[in-house]
Amino acid sequence: MKKIYILFGMTLAFASCNTDVLELTNPNGITTDTYWRNENDVNQAMAATYGLFKNVDGGYWGVRGTELTNGRGDDFFIRNDVSYLYQLATYTNTADNGAATSLWNIAYRAIFRANQTIENVPNVPGLSDELKTRYIAEAKFLRAVNYFNLVINFGDAPLILRVPVDKNDYYYPKSPEADVWTQVKQDLTEAAAGLPVEWPSASKGRATKGAAIGYLGKAHLYTGDWASAQATLQQLTTTPFSYSLTANFGDNFSQNTENNSESVFEIQLADVGGTNPWGGENASESLGVTTAQEFAPQEVSGWFEVSFTDKLFNAFQQERTVSGDLDPRMYATMAWNYPGSTFYNKPFSDFTLLFGYSTLIKKYQNYTQTNELVGSSGAVNYTSSNNERAMRYADVLLMLAEAVTQQGNPAQAYTYVNAVRQRANLAVLPAGYTKDQMMAEIRHQRMLEFAREGFRFYDLRRWGLLQSEISNSDKQGRENFNTSQHSYFPTPQSEVDSNPNIN
Amino acid sequence: MTNKYTINLRKAKWGTLVMCSLLATAPVWANNSAGSYAAVVQQPVTGTITSKTDGMPLPGANVTVKGTSVSTSTDENGKFTILPTSADAVLVITYMGFKPQEVAVSGQNTINIILEEDQTQLEEVVVVGYGTVKKKDLTGAVGHVNGSDLKQQGVSDVTRTLQGRMAGVTVEASGGNPGAGSRILIRGVSSLNNATPLYIVDGVQVASISNLNSNDIESIDVLKDASAAAIYGSRAANGVVLVTTKSGKAGEPVFSVSSNLGMQRLYKKLNVLTAEQWANVSNAAQDAAGIPRLELAQNPASLGRGTDYQDAIYRDAMIRQYDLSVSGGSDSGKYSVSGGYVTQDGIVQNTDFNRYNVRVKTETKKGIFKFGETVFVSRDKQTQMASGWGGQGGNPVGSAVKMIPIFDIYNPDAVGGYGGAYGPVVNVANPVAQLNLENITSENTNILLNAFAEAAILPELKYKINLGYTNNSTYAKDYYKKYQVGTLFTHPTNDLTEAKSQNVLVLLENTLNYAKDFGKHNIQALAGYTYQKYNYKYTSAAKTDLPDGIEAIDAGAGTANVGGNATESSLVSVLGRVIYSYDSRYLLTASVRRDGSSRFGSANRYGTFPSVAVGWNISNEKFFEKMAAKLQTLKLRVTYGELGNQEIGDYQYAASIASNINYVMGDGQTKWFGATQTAFASPAIKWESTKTINFGLDFGLLNNSLTGNIDYFSKKTTDILLNVPIPGSAGAITNPVVNAGTLLNHGLELGLNYGGNAGKFNYNVYGTFTSIKNKVESLGTGSQQIFGGQPTHHGASTTVTEAGGPVSAFYLIKDIGIFQTQAEVDSYVGPTGQKIQPNAAPGDIKFFDKNNDGIIDNNDRVYSGSPFPKFEYGFGFNASYMNFDANIFFQGTSGNKIYNGLRQDLESTNLAINYSTAVLNAWTPENTNTSVPRAIASDPNLNNRTSSRFLENGSYLRFKTLQIGYTIPSSVNSKIGISSLRIYASADNLVTFTKYGGYNPDLGRTGSIFDRGVDYGHVAYPLARTISGGIQLTF
Repeated sequence: MKKIYILFGMTLAFASCNTDVLELTNPNGITTDTYWRNENDVNQAMAATYGLFKNVDGGYWGVRGTELTNGRGDDFFIRNDVSYLYQLATYTNTADNGAATSLWNIAYRAIFRANQTIENVPNVPGLSDELKTRYIAEAKFLRAVNYFNLVINFGDAPLILRVPVDKNDYYYPKSPEADVWTQVKQDLTEAAAGLPVEWPSASKGRATKGAAIGYLGKAHLYTGDWASAQATLQQLTTTPFSYSLTANFGDNFSQNTENNSESVFEIQLADVGGTNPWGGENASESLGVTTAQEFAPQEVSGWFEVSFTDKLFNAFQQERTVSGDLDPRMYATMAWNYPGSTFYNKPFSDFTLLFGYSTLIKKYQNYTQTNELVGSSGAVNYTSSNNERAMRYADVLLMLAEAVTQQGNPAQAYTYVNAVRQRANLAVLPAGYTKDQMMAEIRHQRMLEFAREGFRFYDLRRWGLLQSEISNSDKQGRENFNTSQHSYFPTPQSEVDSNPNIN
Repeated sequence: MTNKYTINLRKAKWGTLVMCSLLATAPVWANNSAGSYAAVVQQPVTGTITSKTDGMPLPGANVTVKGTSVSTSTDENGKFTILPTSADAVLVITYMGFKPQEVAVSGQNTINIILEEDQTQLEEVVVVGYGTVKKKDLTGAVGHVNGSDLKQQGVSDVTRTLQGRMAGVTVEASGGNPGAGSRILIRGVSSLNNATPLYIVDGVQVASISNLNSNDIESIDVLKDASAAAIYGSRAANGVVLVTTKSGKAGEPVFSVSSNLGMQRLYKKLNVLTAEQWANVSNAAQDAAGIPRLELAQNPASLGRGTDYQDAIYRDAMIRQYDLSVSGGSDSGKYSVSGGYVTQDGIVQNTDFNRYNVRVKTETKKGIFKFGETVFVSRDKQTQMASGWGGQGGNPVGSAVKMIPIFDIYNPDAVGGYGGAYGPVVNVANPVAQLNLENITSENTNILLNAFAEAAILPELKYKINLGYTNNSTYAKDYYKKYQVGTLFTHPTNDLTEAKSQNVLVLLENTLNYAKDFGKHNIQALAGYTYQKYNYKYTSAAKTDLPDGIEAIDAGAGTANVGGNATESSLVSVLGRVIYSYDSRYLLTASVRRDGSSRFGSANRYGTFPSVAVGWNISNEKFFEKMAAKLQTLKLRVTYGELGNQEIGDYQYAASIASNINYVMGDGQTKWFGATQTAFASPAIKWESTKTINFGLDFGLLNNSLTGNIDYFSKKTTDILLNVPIPGSAGAITNPVVNAGTLLNHGLELGLNYGGNAGKFNYNVYGTFTSIKNKVESLGTGSQQIFGGQPTHHGASTTVTEAGGPVSAFYLIKDIGIFQTQAEVDSYVGPTGQKIQPNAAPGDIKFFDKNNDGIIDNNDRVYSGSPFPKFEYGFGFNASYMNFDANIFFQGTSGNKIYNGLRQDLESTNLAINYSTAVLNAWTPENTNTSVPRAIASDPNLNNRTSSRFLENGSYLRFKTLQIGYTIPSSVNSKIGISSLRIYASADNLVTFTKYGGYNPDLGRTGSIFDRGVDYGHVAYPLARTISGGIQLTF
């Protein structure tokens, strides 16, 4: 027996000198301990935060985000294919709704990433204070835009401003809607202070000072702070800014005229990187969106998931241009049956209208191609490279018009509204509009100007018109709308399920 | 003449034996028949004695003429010659470990006798990890199956044949696709993480045993309790499955050949609508919603039956299996060599599987040294069906029932040649097109090498070094042809993806074994040191736009995509065990293992896993002698031990930076490379540990013809390693692994075996019974609820796991009937008088407002049942009469629920897909006595939401196996020079008695534990019924 003990002891000794075999490092990537060493790391982290804007599942300007922001409007219909989209569009959505859940989750992912940058940039060696300020400002802009998107969709939401240290930091309670707005404004104010007016051409598309001011103005408008909205947005009409409306309205939705003079903030999309638009966050991910594919009619390989309602079709026909034609914005927004009408280089008559609506969506579609499915990589291409314009100068002008009108000064709104009208070849407004008349005009112009750009539902809510405008629409499911239930999405069920503090 | 006989038979080689019998023996018989029978009373009788189990000859068996002292023994080839004393003499054959047999001579010259093993007498040896132990000295709960019990059943997977054979061992098919393998659960769910047991083949850890050939298996031992498994320490909490492959036996070479031919057919087809029926239902649903009818459905009467997509994708499929083995050896060396081939078509078109395997196992002794090795190589190739082309159909099986029957299978004008869906219907891809236009194959090469050297330093002390190596390489290919399938599925180029992965395990084990008897004291001790390292590497390459018919990456004109990654982990352990028995009455086993794992941070790297067990062979006590007439065996076992679990990913303790999270930037709109932290690390994670106490009783009655065992166990798993869902607001893309909680399991297992005979009718009845209950004691944040089991593309979760409840309990909004009138809808009001279901109309489902807040939402979910059965059972019957044998096996579960996810889709008339025939019975003002709600395309009341409406009783009883065999009489064997020849016919999965409406109630599927009991029929591969026949030949 003694021998056994000796041998056993020897084995133990043998074992104990081999503990270093248990020290293995991950060969796939570096860890947080060795990151944030230089400016390159900061830029990479920034790309990873911007990248979520186009995320296919819930990026605010990815396909599901675009469907979600438009789908609840009185001008939009989503067909019964993807159930959770149909449900949110027909106001039968529950807290489990996949699109709303993804929107929430993706926004918070971006916030987590922005928080990492905000916390780590001060400690990056070799970075000038000026650059540190600029990078922090950029991250704060990204954080603010994500909170903006959260608060207009969900109302109350957890306000998370730092990186979790341990697992106790995963469970934040909801902050009141007003507190989220306060934070959005604070971040945007700081972002506006630190961001450049313009980036070098190689970096074009990153957040600018103008973008931060534009969003700040919008935040003031959404919270009814008309004076601040006016003061903020007016900055964009003078130097150092040089925004202007493009002569051709359609240039705002074409791949060939991206980042133009009207662009305040634009989501950069291109069919570069990998080939798979559903690939998730990895090298195979194509860096565009599949929205055009999902919105295109079946005759050009599309999935015709959405349509405009005829309420929009009719609204466009309310007023003719100075030359007696229909609004040029109508031609850029939709395709319909008129003499000589073509779409995707085919006569309109080649297309079948499936849901009883009169039009097909044209805005942001790649309709100059013969088929939506032909893209730049020459292979399977569901990816559209067409940048989504998150904020256009036209929006700034109409927001300004609204801010001044709401303060009881409709006269001051004329310049802004007329600028938008004249670009559309409409006559200048007659003088002497009352506040209500001017607001009605602004509402009408916003409906036409921004169809498919995801503002309508939120505009109607600001104006207190959700119930009436949805009810008088020809939208399927309008009878299910209930202001108290459907003005905001409920907190996603998965958040409620996993967060004991969500309240 | 005697000599002539003996020599002829002994020297005869198989090839010449037939000739010998004809030429040499014919004259002998002629002589015999010429003389008077009575005159040659003392004619010698010769014959061979073989084992029934494996057909091997039995050397040294005793042959006696009954009632005389005339006796002889068999030679090394199991042959004997004896001179009976009279014509009506009876021979008595005895052999240790086998049941004695008596045979009347009745004038025969050649009598071949097959002895049946007497399980109760044989000093059975059980494999317990790093050694064996005599069954009588065993203290742990170990399930044991002999290879001979794993008779061919027309299935190619070893694990499937274990279903229902061992109490406490649950086996579920991972799917009906050929090569799918099985999922094994030992004693329920002891972890929420990875419940896969540890598999050890000939001493080497492997990921799966599905690739083994059942003919190669000597025995399978399942270590169920902590005492038995503790020697595997940190990896043993889910139980250990030890597979021992066949070794050679000293003696003449023995050849075995077997072949099996079977036919598989879909067990159950789902009832869906014909084209005309579909159009009528669709029109009713559109009308009810007040929206225009679909153009597709305009004229129902003209549509007829349409396409039966199920008939289009299923087929009768062949399975063939061939095996050849040779084994033998001498006192100094033994060998066993085998090869096998199986080829199986799947019941779904264009799916198949084939596998080749070769195994060599030898052992050589010289002096104090012993060397041995196992070499096992298998190669298989699997052709799978597409997992789905996006859209809402699921895989081809799901699409086959969801595809609207109006659409045609083929369209010669379309790119690719297939038809498909068009118009405003749900995106469901033509399943036949999917099966033909996407070709997915994987080829796996598995190598297992194990070599050992053992030195007997002292007669009682042996040192053993064991080297193990496994290499599992997979090459996967996905070729995607260009197509236009209907208007919804377009793929303009031919694309190819190829991926290779390699898993390598290197194992080094040093053990010392000490065994000695000191009078009545018997000691067996073990000490060891082991090291293992695991490496994984993966690379993939893809390219688009290949020329038609070319399947090479280089030929692609489009965009290339590459990927790759690697991981490694290591485990260092010391172990020790002492097995002590006193007089075979008092037994003690104690073991300890200390493991160090690279998967944990340096603070929590080591874990110690001790166990102790005591046993008492009551039937060996003197005081028991009085009882011995009634009760022959009685043994009590009590064990306690702690086991670990480390089955989490590598490097979880450090937060990594994920790269290639890209965006676009600049006037050139080029890629902007991104990288950041996307998930949280868990620096403090430590071992999950399971403490188990087990009480066992083994007994034998009626001269041990009735034997059985009862085990009760209680397990407590603490610090469960789990990816606990954290709130989306935390911003991580994945959930971090944390030590999440405590889980309790207790269970009762019963195994019974009764063997008997009535004349020439021998039979054996056996059964197992298992009842396990689990309960979550604490979880995550305390109030943490983990939801799982999303049953459809769009459904809410179905299960909840939380403290105080069972794992993965169904938690659903309750369906409480159908509103018959508007008055019923209007009077269903909440506390403030508001309508609870304002969008409802007569014919809609009434849901239970559990929290009485006046609205139906997820706060109204209630516990609705468990996916775990109250009990599981298996029972079988083996019988033989003369040369016939039969084998029947049943298995089943009771008390479990299944959420029928596919039914939720097929009864949802708000989806423009094909429906189940159940919707023909939908509520209408004329048809009110039904549980199926009205057909309505918009579904404003959410009748089709995830609710108890789709929860079904999952209990079943399956007639799993029926096998009838016939063994050629031994008198014929000798003439054709073989040891045994058996032919059989077999049926697998013959009939299942169940109320469950889906394809099959044993869902299998390797998913998260929180998805258990949810039938994902839209991505399933249904099980087949198999009828087969085969031949087993030994010579």
